[in-house]
Amino acid sequence: MNKQPKPGFKPGEEPLNYQPPEAHFGYASGPEVQTQISRRQRRGRIMYLALASATIVAILALTALLYTIVNTSFGLVAIEYENEPDKLVLDLQKEVLLGDEETVSSEDDNELVAGIIDDPYAVGFFGYSYYQNNRDNLRIVSIDNVEANAGTVESGEYSLARPLFIYSTQEIMAENPAVNAFINYFLTHVNEEIDDVGYFSLSQERLGEAQDLWKSANELDVPGWAVVEPDGIGGDMQMAGSSTVNPLTQRMLEGFSAGGYTGTATNESIGSGAGFRRFCVEAETDISNASRAIKPGEFAACRSNQRLPLEFQVGSDAIAVTVSAQNDFLTNVTTEELRQIFTTADNWSDVNPQWPDEKIKRWIPGADSGTLDFFEETVFPVELQDLEKPLLVGILADHISTGLGRRLESEQRFFEDELVYFTAEEWADMCSRVEPAAGCTLPARTQENVLLLVEERVVEPKYVAVWPLVDSIFRRSEIEEEVFITYPNAELKFHSWINPRFLSSPQSSSPELAGVRTALLGSLWVILITIVFSFPIGVGAAIYLEEYATDTPINRIIQTNINNLAGVPSIIYGMLGLAVFVRVFEPITSGALLGYADPTTANGRTIVSAGLTLGLLILPIIIISGQEAIRAVPNSMRQAGMALGATKWQTIWHHVLPSALPGILTGTILAVSRALGETAPLVVVGASTFITVDPNSPFSKFTTLPAQIYQWTSRPQAEFQNLAASAIIVLLVLLLTLNATAIFLRNRFARRAQ
Amino acid sequence: MSLQETPFSGNGHLAIEAKDMNVYYGDFRAVKAISFPIVSNQITALIGPSGCGKSTVLRAFNRMNDLVPTSWMEGSVLFHGYNIYSEDVDPVEIRRRIGMVFQKPNPFPKSIYENVAWGARINGYKGEVDELVEESLHQAALWDEVKDKLNESGYSLSGGQQQRLCIARTLAVKPEIVLMDEPTSALDPVSTLRIEELIQELKKNYTIIIVTHNMQQAGRASDYTAFFNMDQDRAGYLVEYDNTDELFTNPKNELTEQYITGRFG
Repeated sequence: MNKQPKPGFKPGEEPLNYQPPEAHFGYASGPEVQTQISRRQRRGRIMYLALASATIVAILALTALLYTIVNTSFGLVAIEYENEPDKLVLDLQKEVLLGDEETVSSEDDNELVAGIIDDPYAVGFFGYSYYQNNRDNLRIVSIDNVEANAGTVESGEYSLARPLFIYSTQEIMAENPAVNAFINYFLTHVNEEIDDVGYFSLSQERLGEAQDLWKSANELDVPGWAVVEPDGIGGDMQMAGSSTVNPLTQRMLEGFSAGGYTGTATNESIGSGAGFRRFCVEAETDISNASRAIKPGEFAACRSNQRLPLEFQVGSDAIAVTVSAQNDFLTNVTTEELRQIFTTADNWSDVNPQWPDEKIKRWIPGADSGTLDFFEETVFPVELQDLEKPLLVGILADHISTGLGRRLESEQRFFEDELVYFTAEEWADMCSRVEPAAGCTLPARTQENVLLLVEERVVEPKYVAVWPLVDSIFRRSEIEEEVFITYPNAELKFHSWINPRFLSSPQSSSPELAGVRTALLGSLWVILITIVFSFPIGVGAAIYLEEYATDTPINRIIQTNINNLAGVPSIIYGMLGLAVFVRVFEPITSGALLGYADPTTANGRTIVSAGLTLGLLILPIIIISGQEAIRAVPNSMRQAGMALGATKWQTIWHHVLPSALPGILTGTILAVSRALGETAPLVVVGASTFITVDPNSPFSKFTTLPAQIYQWTSRPQAEFQNLAASAIIVLLVLLLTLNATAIFLRNRFARRAQ
Repeated sequence: MSLQETPFSGNGHLAIEAKDMNVYYGDFRAVKAISFPIVSNQITALIGPSGCGKSTVLRAFNRMNDLVPTSWMEGSVLFHGYNIYSEDVDPVEIRRRIGMVFQKPNPFPKSIYENVAWGARINGYKGEVDELVEESLHQAALWDEVKDKLNESGYSLSGGQQQRLCIARTLAVKPEIVLMDEPTSALDPVSTLRIEELIQELKKNYTIIIVTHNMQQAGRASDYTAFFNMDQDRAGYLVEYDNTDELFTNPKNELTEQYITGRFG
């Protein structure tokens, strides 16, 4: 109802005696008011919904765009290495350890034991069994205050220990009685034999768990252990896997055969990983030996091959770090001390000042032994990028030719005070030439630089498969399985395609090494030229047209043309740029006239041509937005200035332009953003070339980010799509940075203008 | 005698004089055949109904009409006996010596100090700018209110203060004549009164010509009053020009009487 407060009306009180007027002087009255107003309001609500929907559509579109970019910029990659980085580090460490003159290495553990027994300053490590056999003369050292015994080894507290497993499946055990019986025999007799083979026996409890698993696989529900005698069991068995477990399996097999097994069994030592492949993927083996637990990808592969692995722990392997019984100072070491003892330290006192100032004598297993690998992996888990520069140079030198090494060193030397590939005379000679090598003046390579070289020349990663982010998160196990099955040598890693290396590397034909550095610099150069060219000219034209030009037919034609030019397709500007800047003005745009380029090879396809072309492209936008901004400055401002005796230009410069600048800058931001994202005209002007050299002057050849993105997206390999997505992120960040700067400037001017 | 050499006019002298002045906007004649003298160190009010051309006449005194692209004029405006519309006169000089205050306060989007100092700077003032700023703000009766916030924006002031700032800005370039185009029409009564008091103060040093719609204002604040009206072609013409007391108490023209008694306008 149409209620109006009347005189005397108090808030909260109903107005009394209020009668709506009969006629509202030509406006609606009575019930018609209600319907008429609600009709108007409904129209408003419909418009509100339409506007909100438009916003939602815009947000959705932007979200979808961002989703695509982010989804492609991060994700899992399967990498195959020419040389696996972990192995490189391991080999290097072994080399360093074995190369030390105080280190004695032997394949014969007894020799090690003998060496340690009589020397109070000796230290060594080997399988636990050898310590046990010689425990009267040797003393085992606790690691991080954990002593090696059955309890700590089984629980994993003792760091230099690992479990030993055999794997099979319920189906195999059901189909092949020999396998079933053998596992039963294994679990029955393993603790009798394992000490002799050299490993830790399981506790009754842990062994009981394995036995329960066997019982449940056989669907037996009896108290205690059900022993199956091997007598009379036939059928063949295939076994393969870990070289560590292999001797134990072999010993059990001997006993199994001695007990009356009549079939043929093979037992190959091929390593845990290869064993799982044979077991899960190729489905050839019945039992897989492993010195580690099955990985998710391997498990998934098994499962999809209708093989659900059953895991039987059969023992533990432990390394004993031992000293002579005569040693009276070393009872416990931390992992860090252990690392020092076996790497950098020469004397015991180097590690701990309370220890004697005597040389450390190291006794270690031979290079081919699994024990040494296991020790290295556990005690020195070092990543390639954590290695110091000399070690990286060592790795590099081990894997590249001398010629390449000399070239790399002449480009930039490895060490400030030492030469790797040159003699001092050669180096001095090279540097005294008319054109000395770059390495003569540059400072030595950094660790990061050498690391890049190692990755590029030695590790040589190759992305064999890539997955987008969403798949990487939600389909991780399937991907792991796929990699395990399809790419046996590949490592699966989460990879951010956009990373410091991507930003700092030049264009390359291999996606592992390609980066956006050249394109990024090219874009910056081009946009710089564009701004320098179009901003002053555009603003100048806008001032002229708004403040000086009178309303004549010619000026009207000019104005109309400028408005129309803003709508001309950008490719037309590209053709114009090609015809004018690249061809006609070639002597200038190639830099030949200014002495920057050889006149005979000069080519106008340079940054300056591109910048001028883009400058032309955005000129109308800057002029039009500049005119709008200048027109919006109130006339009173001009009059105030003029009335004080200022000239027209003084008034424009001091008052009109500062007031218009925020608006001019807004237009320029939009225009420059457009220029930064342009591809077509640049391709015409000549940005499509594949270049790896940084642009260093306006007369350089160039590529830009959008051109690079365009080029990458048109390549067939999937990896380049990821690179393109990352380059888009770089472009967006660049755009946001430029805009933020401009907006910051604009806000400063806007604040000053208030 | 060139304009530059003319002496500063003394008390009671002729400050500026319009002679047979016609101002056109394109084909339209806005004012016709205006001739009247302005006495120096006096306040002359221009009154008349809307559209009678009094603002145009005012702006003709410092060539502000030049800023309207289509405007042109006939006749002359004599300043120290010299036609400011002669070809060898630069309007820039005229506008420094004949300042103008506008209807709406229009300070520059700059600090209070800069608002006052700017005119001095661009005109190549040779003295101490700080002193000039202080002096001008004193003259505009604004100094005490703004002396502690000279670096704040001119927009931070109230409407009346802004208008006094605009007056200070005008005074800083040391004009001989100050033209005021309805300077209080956008202000509240208290601010209006302050500006009127200020104008009375200013007349000691300046010749003031003020356009006003407010009859009381013209009556109480001015020494001379010129009443304009427009003819059937909408061209403004001068009806009567006299001493203010005379014109308000004893108008010679019937139109004037009708206008000041509120019977038309």
